[in-house]
Parts: sequence; C-alpha cells; structure tokens
Amino acid sequence: MTLAHEMEEAARVAHELRVKRDQRARMGRLLKHLFLISVSIVMLYPLLWLLASSLKPENDIFGSLTLWPTEFQWHNYVDGWHGLPVSFTTFYINSTIVTVLSVIGNLISCSFAAYAFARLQFTGRTFLFGLMMMTLMIPYHVVLIPQYVQFLRLGWVDTYLPLVVPRFLASDAFFIFLMVQFFRQLPRELDEAAMIDGCSPFKIYWAIILPLSLPALGTAAIFSLIWTWEDFLAPLIYLNDIKSYTVPLALRLFLDQEGQSSYGQMFAMSVLSLVPVVIAFIMFQKLIVRGIATSGMK
Amino acid sequence: MSRGSTSPLKASFMRRFIARNAPAYAFLTPWLLGFFLLALGPILASLYLSFTRYDMVNAPKWVGLANYEYMFTRDRRFWKALNVTFTYVALAVPARLIMALGVAMLLDKGLRTIGLYRAIFYLPSLLGASIAIAILWRQLFAADGVVNAVLGYFGIQGAAWITNPDTSLYTLVVLAMWQFGSPMLIFLAGLRGIPKDLYEAAEIDGTPKWRQFTRITLPLLAPVIFFNLVLQTIEAFKTFSSAFIISNGTGAPADSLLFYTVYLFNEAFKFFRMGYASALAWVLLIIIAIFTAISFLTSKYWVHYENERD
Amino acid sequence: MELTRRRLLGAVGAGVAASALSAVPAKAATRIRHYWWGNPERDKRTFAVIETFQKANAGIEVSGETIGWGDYWTKMATQTAGRNMADLVQMDYRYLFEYVRRGALKPLDEYVGKSLMIKDFDQGPIAGGMVDGKLYALNIGSNSQVIVHNTRVFKEAGVDVDLINWTWDDFARACEQITAKSDGKVKGSDDLSLMIETFESWVRQNGREFYGADGKVAATVDDVASYWQMWANLRKKDVVRSKDKTVILDPPIAESGVAVGDTAMSHYWSNQLVGIQAVAKDKIGAAMVPHKKGGKPGQFIKPSMFMSLSRDTKDPESAIKYMNAWVTDPAITKILGLERGIPASKAVRDALAPGLNETEKLSVAYFDAIQSKVGALPLPAPKGAGEVRDAFMRIGTSVVLDRAKVKDAAEQFIADASDIVERAQ
Repeated sequence: MTLAHEMEEAARVAHELRVKRDQRARMGRLLKHLFLISVSIVMLYPLLWLLASSLKPENDIFGSLTLWPTEFQWHNYVDGWHGLPVSFTTFYINSTIVTVLSVIGNLISCSFAAYAFARLQFTGRTFLFGLMMMTLMIPYHVVLIPQYVQFLRLGWVDTYLPLVVPRFLASDAFFIFLMVQFFRQLPRELDEAAMIDGCSPFKIYWAIILPLSLPALGTAAIFSLIWTWEDFLAPLIYLNDIKSYTVPLALRLFLDQEGQSSYGQMFAMSVLSLVPVVIAFIMFQKLIVRGIATSGMK
Repeated sequence: MSRGSTSPLKASFMRRFIARNAPAYAFLTPWLLGFFLLALGPILASLYLSFTRYDMVNAPKWVGLANYEYMFTRDRRFWKALNVTFTYVALAVPARLIMALGVAMLLDKGLRTIGLYRAIFYLPSLLGASIAIAILWRQLFAADGVVNAVLGYFGIQGAAWITNPDTSLYTLVVLAMWQFGSPMLIFLAGLRGIPKDLYEAAEIDGTPKWRQFTRITLPLLAPVIFFNLVLQTIEAFKTFSSAFIISNGTGAPADSLLFYTVYLFNEAFKFFRMGYASALAWVLLIIIAIFTAISFLTSKYWVHYENERD
Repeated sequence: MELTRRRLLGAVGAGVAASALSAVPAKAATRIRHYWWGNPERDKRTFAVIETFQKANAGIEVSGETIGWGDYWTKMATQTAGRNMADLVQMDYRYLFEYVRRGALKPLDEYVGKSLMIKDFDQGPIAGGMVDGKLYALNIGSNSQVIVHNTRVFKEAGVDVDLINWTWDDFARACEQITAKSDGKVKGSDDLSLMIETFESWVRQNGREFYGADGKVAATVDDVASYWQMWANLRKKDVVRSKDKTVILDPPIAESGVAVGDTAMSHYWSNQLVGIQAVAKDKIGAAMVPHKKGGKPGQFIKPSMFMSLSRDTKDPESAIKYMNAWVTDPAITKILGLERGIPASKAVRDALAPGLNETEKLSVAYFDAIQSKVGALPLPAPKGAGEVRDAFMRIGTSVVLDRAKVKDAAEQFIADASDIVERAQ
C-alpha cells in the first residue's frame, strides 16, 4: 500500500518535473524566437525600405519617412529592365558568366593552396604564407593602376579575363586563409592512415579533406559568389563596352548626382539584383548543413 | 671520406628534398603563378611609386623619402585619418565579432526555422555598401530620421547623428555591427565542425552550459575565431566603401569620416597624387602587418589545431 | 558525320567562348572611342547620336563608353595612367585645367575652320575651353548658376522681387518672408555656406577673382569671412535649411531642399533644371545668384560640358569628324537637344527652339535674361583647385556647426588654399 503510494508519488513528482522541464524548454525556445524575431525586424528594415523605395514615386523617396508608397509604381520594374541602352537580360548574362567562372576558380585554386599550407610540410612554407597574407593587407586602390597597365599590355582590357583569370590563380587570399583554418582542424590521423594505405596527396585532398570540409567550402562558395556578383571596381576599370557591363555597373548608370537620375528604376533593379544572390545563398546553405552529417561520422 | 661517396649522398638528399617538397609545390602552382606573375608586379610598382611624385599623366619622378617625410611632419589630415581609422577598428571589430558569435551560437542549435533566420540575418550584408545604403543611412540617422522617431517614443531627444562630427563615426560602427553576416556564417561553419558527441558527453556528466562553452566551444572554435579576428581587423583598417559612399566621397562632416583609405583614394584619384597615395598605402600595410603579426604570435597560446595536437 | 558534328560543336564552343570572353566587336575600318558621364536619358541620346553618325560615316566605328559622374573620374585617371584614354572624352570645367595642365589633352586649334567648323559659334562659350591661349575643349553646352526656387511657395509668401536683378538683401528678406509665412515648415533657402561656386561669385562682386592671373589665391580673408558671416546671420534667424542637412557634402540633387520640399530655394546649374523638376513636387523657377548692391557682376556663363581630344588618340581625323558632327550636324544636334546645356551655335539654338518642353523653355528664357548681367569668364584655375574646393567645404563645415569662429576659419581657409595650390604646382 505504502509502496504503491510511494511509487505513485514518485511518478507524479517525475511527471511534474518533466512537465516543468518541458515548460522551461518551451519558454526558452519561445524567448529565443521572440529575440530572433525582433532582431529580424531590425535586419529586414533596409530591405523593406529598398522595396518600398522601388515602388514609390520619384519625389516621395527622399521626402517621407513612411514606407508605404503613396502610389504604387510597379512600372519601375518593367521600365528599369529596359531603362538603359542595353537591357538587363544582357547584364544578368554577363554577371552570371563572370560569377560562375570566379566561384569555380576560387574553389579549385584556393583549396589547392590551402591544402598545401595546412596539411603538407615543405621548405618556405612560413615565408610563402606571409607573402600570401600580405596580399590581403595592401589597399587595393594603389595597385589598381599598375594592375591596369599590366592587363593592358596583355591585351586583356575590355574582356572578362582580368576579372576571371586571377580567380583561377588563387588571387583571393581570404579564401586560402579561410580554408587553411578549417583544414587544419581535421585530425592528422586521417592523412596518416591514408598515407599508410598508399594514398597519394591528391587522393587525400580529394577523398578525405574536401568531403570533410563541406561547411568551409560552402561558406567560401557563398562569399565568393556574393562578392563577385556585387563587385564593382574591377568591372568599372576593365570593362568599357556597355554590352559587357555587369549588373552592379549597370545600376550605376541610373544615377547622375549632378543631373537627372532614375532612383525608382535603380531601386527596382537593385531589388531584382538581390534575387539570384538570395537563391544561391539558400542553395549553398544546404552544403553547410550537410556538413554536419559527414563530420558526425568520424 | 673519399670524394666519390659524397655525390650519391648529395643526390639522394636532393631526391629526398624534391620528394618532400614536390607535392606541396604542385598544389601551390596556381597560387605561385598568380602571385609571381600577376600580383607581385603591381605590389612592387606601388612600392616604387611611393618614392615618386606621380600624377598619373606624366611619368613618375623620383623624390626619395619626401612623401614619407611630408606625411609624418606636415600632413595634419594623415593623423586625422589614422585617428578615425583606429577608433573605428577598436570599436567595430569587437562589436561585430561578439554580435556574430552570439547570433551564430543561438542559430547553431535546436531551432527548426534556423535556415530562415540565417538568411534574414545575412540580408543586410548583401546590401553591402550600395548607394541604397548611403541614402538609407542618411535618412535613418538624420535629425528628423527614423532612429530619432523611435527614440522619441521613449521620450529621448536624439541628435543629428550622421551630420554631427562627434557621432557620425558611431553610425558607421552601427552599420558594421548590423552587417555581421559574413563572420556569423564563418562561425556557424566552425560550430558545425565541433562533434556533437562532446556536448552529449558533457550533458551526461552534468557540466553546466557556460562550462561547455568555455571548455568545448571556445577551444575548438579557436582557429575560426582567430581567422575572423585577423580578417575583420584587416578589413576594418581598410574600410572604404561604406565611409566613402555615406560621406559622398569626402570624409565629411569635418573629416569625422575620413577613413584612411578614403583619404588615400582622394589623394590618388581626386588630387592626382598617386605617388603620395602609394606611400600612404605602404604605411597602412605596415600597420596592418604589425597587428597581424601580433595576432599570429599570440595565437600560439590560445589557438590549437587538431592536426598539430599531440 | 561524327566529324562534322564535333567540328560544329567546336565552332559553337569557340563562338560562345569568344563572345563570353571578348567584348571587342569585329574591326571596322577605323574605331574611335567616346567616353562620357551620363544618366539614362543622356546615354540614350548619345547612343542614338553614335548610330546616326555611323550610318552617315560607314568607315568609322564609334565605341560609346559611359558611367555615372562619381565613377567617371576614377576610370578616366586609370586609363590616363595606362595611356589608354578614349579618343574623345567628356570634360568638366572643374577638371579641365587639371587635365590640360598635366598634358593629357591635345589642342584643337589646328582643326578649327578646317574640319571643326565652329567659326560662327558664340565666341564667349567657345573661349571657355581655352587654356593659356589654346583651345583644348569644345563647348557642347553652356550653363550658369541658378537659384532654383519653388514658385508655389514664392507666390504664397508674396515674394515678388525681380529675380534677375535682386540683391543679397532682397534674398535675405525673401528667406524671412517665406519662413514666416509657412510657420517655419518651409525655410527660405538651402544654406549655401559650403558652396564655393556661389562664394566665387561673391568674390567677383567684391571686384576680385578667386584665382589671380598668377594662378595664386586672390580672394581675401575678408571675402571669406563676410560670406560665411552672412549665412551665419541667416542661420541665426532660422530662415535657412537646418545645419544637419547643410554639412552633407555634394548630396545628389534629389536630396536638395527644393526637391525634398523643406526649403524654397537651392543653388544649381542651369542645365540641371530638368533634373530638379523631375524630382520636385512643385513647379520650379530660375533666379540669378543675388547681386551685391553697387558691386560688380559675379555670376558668369561657362561651358557645362566639353568634348576633348585625348593625347592617346590614334586617329584624330576621325575623332574630329565625329566631334564636328556633334555640334553642327542638324540630325545629331536635334537628338542631343538641351540635355547637356545650351548649344553655343545660334543656328542650332534656333533650330531647337520650336520643340522645347516647358522646363527647357524656362532654362532658355533664363539664359537670355542673364546675358547682360553676367561677368566675364574667370581665368583658368590652377592645379589643385579641386582640393581647394574640398578645403572650403571642410573648413566651412566647422563654421556651420559653430565649432570655429568665422574669422579664424576664414584665415585658415585662405592659408590652406594657398598651401594647396603651392603644393600642387
């Protein structure tokens, strides 16, 4: 009788505890969501502003703080697309070519270099690593002109080569350093075991390091894609023919600080220019997530 | 020892040397080509130009150390630019990193909607330093702007943040914090690399959460924290676009947004002093290099790599 | 079969690669490049001009290259450094002297009257492209300063002063009237403390040039101090735009007071009237920069844009042919209209007159009205003038924000300006 009672009592207490814990967990999750949602609003404000501005009449963009347009100018999107001497279809194709090639180039060449720096012993490693870091530190604007002269001599100006070729030659040290940090985190026993099995360094790179570094590669791919898509200075300097312009360059054609601008159309096209990047972001994000499954296996 | 026997020894040493280094250099080939054929030339050229007077129209004229001398002895705006930039680095880098790490840890665990949040939190970074941001920022932080309207609800009388030289720099720090997307993403990728069973084991042992953070998360995340710290510091020193675009390229008001690179850019492209600008660039390079070197040296004490652990 | 397919694929692949990686089109007999800063409207017109020109001149291919004002000069400097300037570049009054004095442009004198038929043009506007006795830049439109004003607000406030002949006193009174009438909702004017162009007129009204014949700063501390003091007084009366808006330097015209609607007057150039009207809610009008009572004329008519021949041109003959067509060919001048400013050729102006829209008519009428009220073109500015302009805005900012005494700031500006000019030589 007492025993049964005690057991009942214990079960009741246990149940209460569980309910309390669940409640606390639920409360915690709720708080977390509340926090994240309020942060999200702050984060989303500029996008909402951009969206609103793309739909406002021209003289409403600067005068009023309210986001809601007095009159919806949906035509900004259609007009903007055809608002320049060359249609945005061309600019999107150009940007896509440059971006796709750059991402591929970056991933291949930077992961190569990073693998050497992170996993292989060789003479001159520290020195070369230092040189690589130096390329990150120099302000870009002072190498702009020597670089321009160099590409001019190669006859590459007014082509996409200056934008793309350096990417295949690991020009962006950011990605090398990023991958180095991730590659170094992988256990050394992996390579050692593979080496004993007679794997070549390339095999180790390809079959072990890369698959285990998907989060890092995904991150590098996202950044590389976004930064190339948004890059403005290099296309400005190297592209002359408006038919070869990329999207960010084209966006600058809408504005004339000193004269007639088309802000509404510019904002509309800015909104559209974000669409491919957001889609790509969501796609590559999966790579980062998939990384967990793989690293969980080790 | 006879002469004959050293030769094969030397040869075998060479063979081993090559065997040891060949794979690494094979992997490094693209980078080596890029560095020595494309990157190094312009870098050395800018070093040379820093000792010249060069207006970009006529050939550079050698002036020795004159540029550096002018910079350190007579150029008030150079010191102003340094001051602005150092203040910004000291404020923006920690603020952004803490923000990014905090949000990344919140997002790392447990929530089903995490992908959505991640995308939302990255959005401000997508807007980068576009013209839209410049216009928006001026509207947000104007005397009659949105920020003050919000503050007004709480009875706070706000200032003209962006046009007051005392506060304008802080609006850029806020911008930096708000665009924390890229370090956040890198932190997330790093957090994904930490084996979950470590936390499970700690949970079973009853280790409190904050100790899990200091004992598991921080040490294993150290390489990524280190990366973000170094890179964010470098980037902060080189901050250009946001300051340039928000101040319409001038560093106004009253030079309070005169970031080092904005000054450098104006010297080069607006005032035709590419030689002087190159000298400015090399001084900045040395400053950044010192900071980076310090980071690397101290990292021995707090960053440990899995593949170098015994 | 197999072979042909592979060959076909190869050819297609090569074609794709070529079109992807090379933006250079097939060669015509000769190819010249024309580079300008623009906006959607100007770009459309200019590309139409290029097409028209190419149709008439089969052997010449013109490559049109354009980008917005802010980025134009960065790219131009880079191309100049690489000795790869476009054959024809658009020039601005502010930058012309910097480029000429450094030797980046070729003089046009040898072509005038032979292939560049501008003898019958108004000589005043043409002379604007002369530096040290040589013609380096062809005027492709003139403009002058203009005080743009909101006609509705002016009417409501009962401001009925003669806007061509008015003085600074009239201006101040108008500011007070407007502010009072609108209960401070609309201030009289933008605060022009940082506008060196207006200050330049102020100096000339005092009987001096900003830069003297020796290329040194000739404006005095008193000129600067009196100018800044006048605006300080208006600020004190609270009849000009708030200082928070004033210290934003070089804002886009869409952010100016008249465009936004919080002031009734802003300072601009006459070729910008169309652009301002596009963003302003009310109908705008044009007034001269106020005069000094008993002073000399300060305002002047200057080229708004030039076309120049670069030192890197390989085919000057074709380039000049194109340049000539720009200012003389009726089909082309019709396309261009007044978009870049008022043409220097009377024949062209007369041909355009019937087709003008309302705002364009306003700018032509304004132009006619000021002809007899303006002074001569100032002497060409020395190297470093761009930097002096920045210093004026920077030091002026501390006056506007009450961080410096007018007198001290004026002294500092004159000293700094002299240093800048000296260092730039």
